[in-house]
Amino acid sequence: MKLLGLLVLLFSSSLWASGGYNFFTNASHIFHIPAHTLALIFGSLVFLAVGVYYRAKVSTVKNVVIPDKGVSVRNIVESLAQMMINTARSVMGEESTKRYFPYVIFVFCFILITNVMGVFPGSMSPNQNLNTTLALGIFTFIYFNFQGIRAVGFINYMKHFAGPMPALAILIFPIEIISISVRPLSLALRLRGNMDGDHLILGIFSELVPYIVPIPFYAMGIFVGFLQAFVFTLLTMIYIGMATAHHDHDEHEAHH
Amino acid sequence: MENSGVMAVNSWVVLSASIAFAAAVFGGTMAQGKAASVALEGIARNPAAADKLQTPMILALALIESLVLFGFGIAFLILQKFAA
Repeated sequence: MKLLGLLVLLFSSSLWASGGYNFFTNASHIFHIPAHTLALIFGSLVFLAVGVYYRAKVSTVKNVVIPDKGVSVRNIVESLAQMMINTARSVMGEESTKRYFPYVIFVFCFILITNVMGVFPGSMSPNQNLNTTLALGIFTFIYFNFQGIRAVGFINYMKHFAGPMPALAILIFPIEIISISVRPLSLALRLRGNMDGDHLILGIFSELVPYIVPIPFYAMGIFVGFLQAFVFTLLTMIYIGMATAHHDHDEHEAHH
Repeated sequence: MENSGVMAVNSWVVLSASIAFAAAVFGGTMAQGKAASVALEGIARNPAAADKLQTPMILALALIESLVLFGFGIAFLILQKFAA
């Protein structure tokens, strides 16, 4: 079985190099929908399927504390969720994690699944297109601004941008506004550049040497996809944490 | 004559795109090397702090890498706009 998988990998990589075959590009000619949108729909369906499968699996298990034996979908999902919730606790704090974790874990799972899609020969990642990643970035931008305003109020949220000194506020305020406004763009460009660059390198090496040599690049593709999903989520958590932070540390320190 | 002129422009465009990306990669690798070496030194001196150092290190690497990717984007833009 493992040998079969290896053979499929070898031959499909050469197929990809020779034809530049891409399932989603071919399908987009039939449906008249852009390839990255089709890939995104496929990724969403995979996401939904994994979610439904995990939920069904957990509801049949007698004791949810005991993990499965070996590598199963449930174990992978739970270890990733555990990792993310530990990171969220250390970055955002306990209270914010309870409140904002659903969005964070959604972003992580979604980007992870859509990134790893790009590794399969003949498939592509929707994150290779700037439109997809910019949509994710803008969602994050809207979300952390909305939650920030909801947590501290509009006036206090604007005071975040003014800096600690009132005299310098007129200088700090525009800089802060610009640095916050470019966040969705920088998130989008980072994700898109990494995924597209990775796909490009894989394609180039499959074209140079069709057999054996591209295999490490498949491993690197999975790793980069995971890392970029993690980085996107980590930055989302940091932005949410910064936006919803209550700026009353000085008063607290005065009491101590 | 016109043809040779176009050729000359194209070769300059290719050269400038390559140099732009090479410079971006050079700066990025220097910065990432420094960030990683300092973080690893910190972990070597205090292995108990490895978990706490890892997240900021990955964050710093990602922020540095994004600038390299902006360079990649600009090199790509140069090629697309002028080399066609």
